[in-house]
Amino acid sequence: MKRFALLVVACVGLAFAQTGTLELAVDSSPAGLDPHKVTAFSSFAVISQVYDGLLEINADLQLEGALAESYTISDDGLVYTFTLRDDVVFHNGRAFGAEDVVYSLERILDPETGSPQASRFNQVANAEAVDARTVVFTLTEPFAPFLSNMPNLYVVPREVVEEHGDLQQVAVGTGPFALAEVVPDTFLRLEANADYYRPGEPGVATLRYNVVPEASTRAAGLRTGTYHLIPDVDPTTALTLGSAPNVTLLEVPGLAYTLVGMNVTREPFDDPRVRRAINLALDREELVDGVFLGNAVPAGPLSEALTDWAVPTETFPCYAHDPAAARELLAEAGYPDGFEFTILTFGTRRDVADTAQVVQAQLERAGLNVTVNVAEFGTFVQDWSNSNFDAFVSLNGGNIDPDGYMHRTFITGGSTNVFQYSDPTVDALLERGRTTADVAERQSIYTELQSALACEGPIAHLNYGTLFSAHRAEVQGFEQIATGNLRYLRSVTLR
Amino acid sequence: MTTYVIRRLLDLAFVLFGVSVLIFMMLRLIPGDAVAIMLGANIDITPERIEALRRQLGLHLPLHQQYAQWLGGVLQGDFGRSVWTGRPVADEIVGRLPVTLQLSFMALAFAIVVSFPLGMLAAGARGGRADAVVRLASIVGLTLPSFWVGVLLLYVTSMYLPAWPTIGYVPFVEDPVGNLARMALPTFAVALPMIAALTRILRSSLLDVLSLDYIRTGKAKGLATRTLFYKHALRNAMIPVITVIGVQVGYLLSGVVVIEQVFAIPGLGRLVIGAINERNYPLAQGVILVATVVFVFVNLVVDLAYAWIDPRVEYT
Repeated sequence: MKRFALLVVACVGLAFAQTGTLELAVDSSPAGLDPHKVTAFSSFAVISQVYDGLLEINADLQLEGALAESYTISDDGLVYTFTLRDDVVFHNGRAFGAEDVVYSLERILDPETGSPQASRFNQVANAEAVDARTVVFTLTEPFAPFLSNMPNLYVVPREVVEEHGDLQQVAVGTGPFALAEVVPDTFLRLEANADYYRPGEPGVATLRYNVVPEASTRAAGLRTGTYHLIPDVDPTTALTLGSAPNVTLLEVPGLAYTLVGMNVTREPFDDPRVRRAINLALDREELVDGVFLGNAVPAGPLSEALTDWAVPTETFPCYAHDPAAARELLAEAGYPDGFEFTILTFGTRRDVADTAQVVQAQLERAGLNVTVNVAEFGTFVQDWSNSNFDAFVSLNGGNIDPDGYMHRTFITGGSTNVFQYSDPTVDALLERGRTTADVAERQSIYTELQSALACEGPIAHLNYGTLFSAHRAEVQGFEQIATGNLRYLRSVTLR
Repeated sequence: MTTYVIRRLLDLAFVLFGVSVLIFMMLRLIPGDAVAIMLGANIDITPERIEALRRQLGLHLPLHQQYAQWLGGVLQGDFGRSVWTGRPVADEIVGRLPVTLQLSFMALAFAIVVSFPLGMLAAGARGGRADAVVRLASIVGLTLPSFWVGVLLLYVTSMYLPAWPTIGYVPFVEDPVGNLARMALPTFAVALPMIAALTRILRSSLLDVLSLDYIRTGKAKGLATRTLFYKHALRNAMIPVITVIGVQVGYLLSGVVVIEQVFAIPGLGRLVIGAINERNYPLAQGVILVATVVFVFVNLVVDLAYAWIDPRVEYT
């Protein structure tokens, strides 16, 4: 009987044999592939197929096991114990174990590596491989968002790093696909990992990322069947692809949001009443229609995709568009005739540049005199990081844990607090938010924070745009995730 | 003739020196700090990291020293290394140059083959219906941006000829048919403005020559119209056409940059756009310098072609 069961498993295994090449169209070549060094989305689109973290994020934005099967957290919130899978091998054939996790964490934290992920793991005091399948992290203080950073702890093999110096040009991981060929600016080819630990996956034998910079060219290629899947489709192209035969358009609310950022060290933005007036003067619904062709929602400080955390925007009093109230508030703050200021922005993203223009028009209706300065992107980044602006319009990425975005953005001296915002109440809440383990208590902390920041914070949050992907009818099993992660490529089969 | 070529090549050295200074300065005058762009809106930027990267790239030196270092390398055949990939710039360029050259030469050849009959047809039928059609079409061809033409061609073929592979690139040696099938639309898009320009200049130049005395004399002594047209008029009408071809090669290169973007062709144009966007100074400088050399050489060949067409032209 036992033998029979094995036979069935073997047959099922055969039936799942990977076939076919999934052709993707992406907008740019990854600038490098080292999971601990890069920041570009184009790089992570490939890295997420080649490497695994301890946990991963599913389509419902919940954490699931990846390299780790299970975990326990000590009552004081300081000790995290992960039990790892025992059936994982690297693409070079070596078995994966707890030492690899410890090595990868140490590499991220090593200042030599210069990893942009380092700050996610600052709270780790000690990492230890207890045995081949058990790794224990001890934290310096309780850190509630710790688990949400586990997908970013991509595990890399020490011997490959030591042989090549870094992993920008080579890629050896444990993921469903292994890097096979890179032709710069043309394509990247990944081949299915025959030893992948999830049975039946990946569903295709080959994954090809074709580099096609023009959106209209990608769309034309999808129509003709040259490409099977476009992971990231802009709203205008989505409009034309929605009606194309044999093409399926997918959409999810995104985590990235457009915003007006205000420099609170400059007059008059140092006055909370002025910041509230700006919020009242903005018409977020008009931005949804004018900039996103209806494919967006008004934004609070957290995306509504974070269903466990986000406060509905209707509850923020300053979100009711009311230019008259804005004028009154400005008069009260000492600006009865409005004031002049410049909005810094950049032109490489159409949604951002359009938002800046509509915002300008809306604020002028409330009596403000706004100049828009469309800077070259490099200049924008420079002025942004030096806090050299009155206000700016831009787009920010999100995070599945509220702390991931809010702490660094609003805490006094935070790494992306370019507004130079400083509020003792907010600081205290942010610190409590990350050290409190109890979920309900955390939720009430972040509810309080969202109310405190929505109207008088340094950011007027504008819109969360919808993310679109499109694929051919023959593609089955693809799901889109609000983070833009492409983990479901491994479940795709071609009909 | 030999002394002329040598002198021109010496001139070339001066031109390239000037161009190298211009490229170097212009790239650095683009606003935006190179290092800030590389690090992006990164959450862990520290002044130490910025300074370390600046040193690694040699950007902490004064401009004239940076320039001297770069030029010194270039004179020894070392164009430096691409900031992102770490590969030698020369390797990156050598990998892309054949793609761009193929597209440019196909477009140039196509433009010449199409524009000559059109120009002659229009001049021969001056004031007639054919002339009017050719003149109108050439104006349209001149004004349509090749970017727009490229996207339009892509759309039309994707709608009506979905089996035609139009996007991307395969090397000719791997798949000649696939290569030519993919190159056809970009060639047409790049050649279109050139066809228009050449047709117009050939027509007006032919009309000028046809009104000259020696043509009338030829006609009077009973030369066949064909002989008169092809042997006597056309050859003399060629000089301005050749000049325009030389100038157009410059536009051709810029058209190729745009079209490579539209059709996802991995040529020099894609390389240089990427390099400028990322402030990849060594790579951008290398590509622009190579493109300049190509352009200057084409103009030299054009100048030499005058003598071949018109034996009265002497080089001293």
